[in-house]
Amino acid sequence: MSKRKRPDSAAPAHGLTEHEKTIYDLIKSKQDMGIFSQDIRRETKLLPNMVTKSLKSLLAKNLIKEVQNVQHKGRKHYMASDFEPSAEITGGSWYHEGALDKTFIDLVRKTCLSYISSLKIATVEMIYDAIKRSKLFHVECSQEQIAEILRTLELDNQIVEFRSTGCGEFASIPILRVCYKIAKKPGSGKEPKVSPMASIPCGVCPRIGYCSPDGIINPITCEYYNKFLDF
Amino acid sequence: MTTQWGIKYAVHIISTHFGDLAARVCECLLRRGPLSKHNIVRFAETPLKQVHVCLLLLIQQNIVQAYIVEDTGGMDDVVKQTTQYMVLFDNIIHRTRFPKFMTVVAQELDKGCTELFQSLLQHGRLTVEKMIQIQESSYGEESVRENLAKLVHAHFVERCPAVEPLLVPPSEEELAAKKRSRSAKVAAEPDIMERVIDAAAPMESKRFLIIRDDITIDSEMADDGSANVGEKRKRSFLASNSELGIKEEVLWRANYEEFLHRFKHNACVEDVRQRVDDSAAIALSAMLESSRRMESKVKSRTSVPVPINAIYEEVMKDEAGRSMTLDDLREYLEHLKCDRGANDSYSIDLKSILELAQNEEVESIVLKRYGEDSHRIFRLLSKADHLLETSKISKMVFVDQKETPNILYKLWKDKYLHMEKVTVVGSQQCEFLLWKVNKSALWKNILDDMYHASLNVSLRVVHEMEQGSELLSLPPEKREGPLLVKLERLRNIKRVLEESLRKLDDSMMLFHDF
Repeated sequence: MSKRKRPDSAAPAHGLTEHEKTIYDLIKSKQDMGIFSQDIRRETKLLPNMVTKSLKSLLAKNLIKEVQNVQHKGRKHYMASDFEPSAEITGGSWYHEGALDKTFIDLVRKTCLSYISSLKIATVEMIYDAIKRSKLFHVECSQEQIAEILRTLELDNQIVEFRSTGCGEFASIPILRVCYKIAKKPGSGKEPKVSPMASIPCGVCPRIGYCSPDGIINPITCEYYNKFLDF
Repeated sequence: MTTQWGIKYAVHIISTHFGDLAARVCECLLRRGPLSKHNIVRFAETPLKQVHVCLLLLIQQNIVQAYIVEDTGGMDDVVKQTTQYMVLFDNIIHRTRFPKFMTVVAQELDKGCTELFQSLLQHGRLTVEKMIQIQESSYGEESVRENLAKLVHAHFVERCPAVEPLLVPPSEEELAAKKRSRSAKVAAEPDIMERVIDAAAPMESKRFLIIRDDITIDSEMADDGSANVGEKRKRSFLASNSELGIKEEVLWRANYEEFLHRFKHNACVEDVRQRVDDSAAIALSAMLESSRRMESKVKSRTSVPVPINAIYEEVMKDEAGRSMTLDDLREYLEHLKCDRGANDSYSIDLKSILELAQNEEVESIVLKRYGEDSHRIFRLLSKADHLLETSKISKMVFVDQKETPNILYKLWKDKYLHMEKVTVVGSQQCEFLLWKVNKSALWKNILDDMYHASLNVSLRVVHEMEQGSELLSLPPEKREGPLLVKLERLRNIKRVLEESLRKLDDSMMLFHDF
């Protein structure tokens, strides 16, 4: 048997109209996920103008707030004022005001690279400790965030991942621990190999699928080849 | 199965080297698989006489292999034998590698050997007498024989396969084993190619054997009771003449396999040099050099185990390797994750080195073609080797959530990614898109693109040379002023395109031959 919930006298919903209360309860039930305005209409089955009016009133009373959903920037997303938007809505710690904070990411990437470069070989913990000690950033970065940054640096071939063997250059790092080294830089005499395919027009041609010896797009009249062979 | 652009590139090569008629016969065989002479006439719509001549030429150039199949069907119990002709796609592509083969021979052997090898490449297959006849103006009979012996000893030259071997149907046991391992339909085509090549190949003991009086030795071997039934049967067919009237005799040809072994080893060594360092490359090079003679198939996954002392001996031959101690060598081999076997021998997984090189090639194309964000996403999926969801990908690579689906869609549209849709039905219907890199399918597409690119570059070379034919035919005294500049430009174009073609071919070998 379900018991009817007793009205809470301390609840801010006091003094709301019936529609406003219904909408407020629905928004509050969604907690830190919030709800999209059209979903409010669908779930409450209220008329659009009533929903709009109620939302305006709730916003004016500071009971709800409008938040930006990183996945659907154009949509109006509402959340009860008591909650902070979840990482799913904001995009996570690397997002600022609904957009990827590229400046901050670049700064953290550069800092990580310079630490690996000076330490020659480093683990996530070593870089995290060094950043923490330096107090370079106003916002604190967690170890997981540093690990995320290192993963992208590795994907960009800027650093190389190793497992410590515990001897030689890895002597200071416990055996089998994941560590990172700077990748060989272009210009150091051992440049990363560029595929021969990527160095000719066909390898990067957006129209290669339409190209044939007898077609309108063909290697004889190809503009990309004309530019490639323009000495 | 050869790809579409592979066929077009092969046909272009044949057309440039031997004319349109031979190209038509080749295209017919490449598209339809092995055919009898009469079926070639029918499908290539070419008169019998011309097909006959073309087949003779293509067999002479090691591009077509004939074989006999026994047909036991029909009303009566008479076994009918028909000759089928099968085109060897790889041997067509190898024709573009002749300059590379020549460089290897020139580096290892003297001028006489190089010239003899060049004649063999030009004529396809030759008897010793013919070689002597071709080279008699510059070299005497004895020196030609000596040069041939050197080439054979280095495994650059081998005995030709049988002209028309009998293809013995696989035994029931073999068939049952194949059915267990993989579906018969998938295995059908490469199977027949392998079987024909195996049936035609000379016995391993005779492949690199030079004997003045071959007939005597052959008959001696035929009398030898130890030879198994299959070999005897093979030899009895060697004695007969072929459908095309080719006489069975001891012929020699360039051994492409030996060069592929060397190129594969070089590719691995250079990759290690780039990824690790020069000393590790020296260690690997020594190990592969000492195991090469024992390797059988080019596509083998691991190298043949070699004792550490043999590797060390090879290291000592290299000037840079003389500073390396035995312990250093051991350390390098262990750093390269070589397997240590019995008797202190080492072997290495070559396939994994080559796979890294293949990944690097494709990543490099993605970076140049689609940009940094796409490259990062592609590398993430390639390394993960399993399905990942769009928003998860976006978070892992720091690419804007709005931009990620566009990048993924573009890569998927160009067949770089595989996509799966998952629909979850709950209070609301949600659709998730999952992505991964399907390497086997992608590698095939990349290889096809490489054939396409090679064809395009080759056509462009022909076009540029045709455009500049007047310029090239000018006598030297008239080549001055603006004409000289134009001529220089034409030479540069030729050089750049041919260099591109050569490097592209290295990549094609990486994806197809190794």
